[in-house]
Amino acid sequence: MSAKRVKAPLTPEQRWKMTRRRFLIGTGSLGVLAVGGYFGINEGRPALVDAIEKSGASRVGKMPVPNLWFEMKPDNKMIFYAPKFEMGQGIHSALAQIAAEELEVDVKQLEVRQADSTIGFDPQLMFTFGSTSVNALFTPLREAAATMREMLRLEAAKQLSVGVNEVVALRGECFARQDMGKKLTYGQIVAAKQTEWEIPKTAPNLKARKAFTSIGQNTPRVDVRAKLLGQPVYGYDARVPDMLYGAVARPPRYGATLKSANAAEASNQPGVTKVVIDLKANFAGVVADTRTRAREALKFLNLEWQGGTNVNQNEIDAMVTARDGEGVVIRKRGNTDATILTGTQVTAEYRTPFAAHAHLEPLSALAHVQALRVELWVPTQFTSGDTRGVQAAVGGEKREIVVYPMQMGGSFGRKGAQSAALEAVRLSNAVGKPVHVGWTREEDIQHGFFRPPSHTRFRGSLNSDGRIDAIDQVTASGDILFSVIPIPEPIKNLIGFDFGVMSGQFSPYDFPNYRVRSHRINLPVPTGSWRGLGIFPNTFALESFMDELAFAAKTDPLEFRLKHVPTTEEGTRLKRVLEDVKTRSNWATTPESGRARGVAFSSLGNTYVAQVAEVSILENRIVVHRVTISIDAGLVVNPANAALQAKGSVVMGLSSTLLEKLTVKDGMVEQANFKEYPLLTLKETPPRIDVNFLEGGDTPYGMGEPAIGPIGAAVANAVFALTQKRIRDLPLEL
Amino acid sequence: MIKLEVNNRSWDVPEFQASEMLVWVLRDTLGLAGTRYGCGIGVCGTCNVLIDGVPKRSCQTPTANAVGKKITTLEGLAEGTGDQLELHPVQTAFLENPLQCCWCMSGHIMNAVALLENNPNPNSEQINNAMNENYCRCGGYNNIRKNVARAAEIAGGRS
Repeated sequence: MSAKRVKAPLTPEQRWKMTRRRFLIGTGSLGVLAVGGYFGINEGRPALVDAIEKSGASRVGKMPVPNLWFEMKPDNKMIFYAPKFEMGQGIHSALAQIAAEELEVDVKQLEVRQADSTIGFDPQLMFTFGSTSVNALFTPLREAAATMREMLRLEAAKQLSVGVNEVVALRGECFARQDMGKKLTYGQIVAAKQTEWEIPKTAPNLKARKAFTSIGQNTPRVDVRAKLLGQPVYGYDARVPDMLYGAVARPPRYGATLKSANAAEASNQPGVTKVVIDLKANFAGVVADTRTRAREALKFLNLEWQGGTNVNQNEIDAMVTARDGEGVVIRKRGNTDATILTGTQVTAEYRTPFAAHAHLEPLSALAHVQALRVELWVPTQFTSGDTRGVQAAVGGEKREIVVYPMQMGGSFGRKGAQSAALEAVRLSNAVGKPVHVGWTREEDIQHGFFRPPSHTRFRGSLNSDGRIDAIDQVTASGDILFSVIPIPEPIKNLIGFDFGVMSGQFSPYDFPNYRVRSHRINLPVPTGSWRGLGIFPNTFALESFMDELAFAAKTDPLEFRLKHVPTTEEGTRLKRVLEDVKTRSNWATTPESGRARGVAFSSLGNTYVAQVAEVSILENRIVVHRVTISIDAGLVVNPANAALQAKGSVVMGLSSTLLEKLTVKDGMVEQANFKEYPLLTLKETPPRIDVNFLEGGDTPYGMGEPAIGPIGAAVANAVFALTQKRIRDLPLEL
Repeated sequence: MIKLEVNNRSWDVPEFQASEMLVWVLRDTLGLAGTRYGCGIGVCGTCNVLIDGVPKRSCQTPTANAVGKKITTLEGLAEGTGDQLELHPVQTAFLENPLQCCWCMSGHIMNAVALLENNPNPNSEQINNAMNENYCRCGGYNNIRKNVARAAEIAGGRS
């Protein structure tokens, strides 16, 4: 673990020289060639990127700190600083494969390290979210890698005394084309370098897809070996010398504030270093020499809480109820009012509950507050969430906040959006030593935020040809992104709908009259991002209703969907995944006795996913035997790992479909641990989950979330096909 | 001081920690991060270790109960060090065909090691039964089934 990082001897401005393309070349750092770039800005501040590009190299020194991508060392070791966070999605590996492609090295030659704030990231821009990493970095990462490779080639030409065009870079070496015996490893080139690096005058050409040798391969993951050996790579493992352990008091109701706490008795408990009570910050915590002692001492704080909510689940359900005419119209075509009452009418409403992320590694943070800086070791998707409030909590002179992102034992939208960092900071600040705060499972479930409950109401009409004429859709949902976007409540109410809820909210099918209303509900229970944001609840509703329409039209549900595929490029891609899943699931055949199949589709970003679930009922329980997944995710960087993402999404979605439900009583979620909130087990997991990636172009799209969308509806639709019973609430109960 | 025998090595642990759960003593006191915490109530299996060869939830095992017994954790499975490190067949199988975040992996591995010690040649039903008590939130269950069978193969259990 990178507990103590030696500071670079040069300031970034001294160290970096900007190229005509926005790459930065490290100068004078111990014979190491380094290539960096403005990744964060590139992605997050397009206007600034333009300004940088127009300004040329003259503004070096005024630029924000660049982030480092690669370091080539004389010992032939190449370090790749991965600018995205690993939570099991295999992003470090995928990015390494992409980089290796243009670097012309074997992935094995790359040592992948997590980029942290000391090597240049703007903490505001350090995030891993929304299945966007591979897509966003695909081009900039290859450009940076190709620039580095070209610099090595240029230098190799000099050292080999041949023309640049005579030099071939391959597998970490530069060869003279005419004399393959004349060669230098990248490390040798860097070691022998005497003068300043020459920067390519033009952008290097990127390889065409047909020339790829790294992208598209099932290269082994780079992060697994350390995890198999028990190395401390996760946030909960973070460890530095002299550290202590913290535990923090939790309110009995959401929104409750700490009225009083008594330090005396807790301070006298064995092992306790310090009790920290800060009523203004609504905070009481204990630092002790072990976690167990810190948690034990919490019981002696004599806490008194006031206020907060007393809300109960029935009130939540009443609040989250979609009613005609409520909410904001977010999509409209044709004239729904004029057509909705004609032809065959179908109405239905669907409900999904609060759900927990239930990553198996609960929240944690290690903080070390020092005179000039604050160091944070955090498992995180958004470091801005970990640093928020830290300066105010420690007070005094402005301190440098250094963030070391740690790997996550799952996250699913939670870590960083909620952080234990501030708690660890308050405690570390009080004792002047590093303090690690690791949450218990109960804290993690009850005191987190949740996938918000949602309720969607549809009215639909079919014309005499059995085609959809109109759909009127109203969704009420607790907040997803509004809970983290810092805009005032009145503005949120004015906007009226949450952007995160919009994920997967629109029917992809072709019919003339459509209106979607979305109604934002500000609940007294914390809600927020959960894998795929709105896609899971929305797809359950949309694709269950599509099945109900198909049934009313007396048409096979898959054929009904194909009949409504739009004649657009999106429609073509939709049709491809539907037809593929039809073939691969043997949709046209009769399943074995006692089983039935259901289909559903969803898209997220540019990734299209169709799924067929095959189910039976055993002792009044739904058993899912097989799930067939067809995906168009564009170019797939690592098919084996991408398939794992798809299968894992299905298993997590199935857990929500069959089991998971949180309920609120007297202002607090009733379920605290896995006894009351069980997750899907191995035996409940379909032994066959087949994934097929459809060949799709030169651009990779997201894979972390899209496949969680369809599974709820696919299973509910299969249950309907089997029993003629339509279940409209999750989790499905027979 | 109380003495614990972990991975064939003797460790001193302060007396007062006898009542603390083994998972915290292993992780925080001994620095053996390979045993991971999941639920603290013995449901999820993330914290499994072997005590005298039997998989036990270390979050439910007071450290005192492990005194005088042989404790094996993830760190104790591979043999040798550095370049000579030889992974246990179960580790090899999980390296070939990994889970996702892998936080739960140690618990599954300890379970599988115990299963294969007692039954070098388990059939799929025996694998399902032995491995069903551990959660994998990332949904790698089918890899887990496959890896146990593969580990048996690597270990030479299948002739």
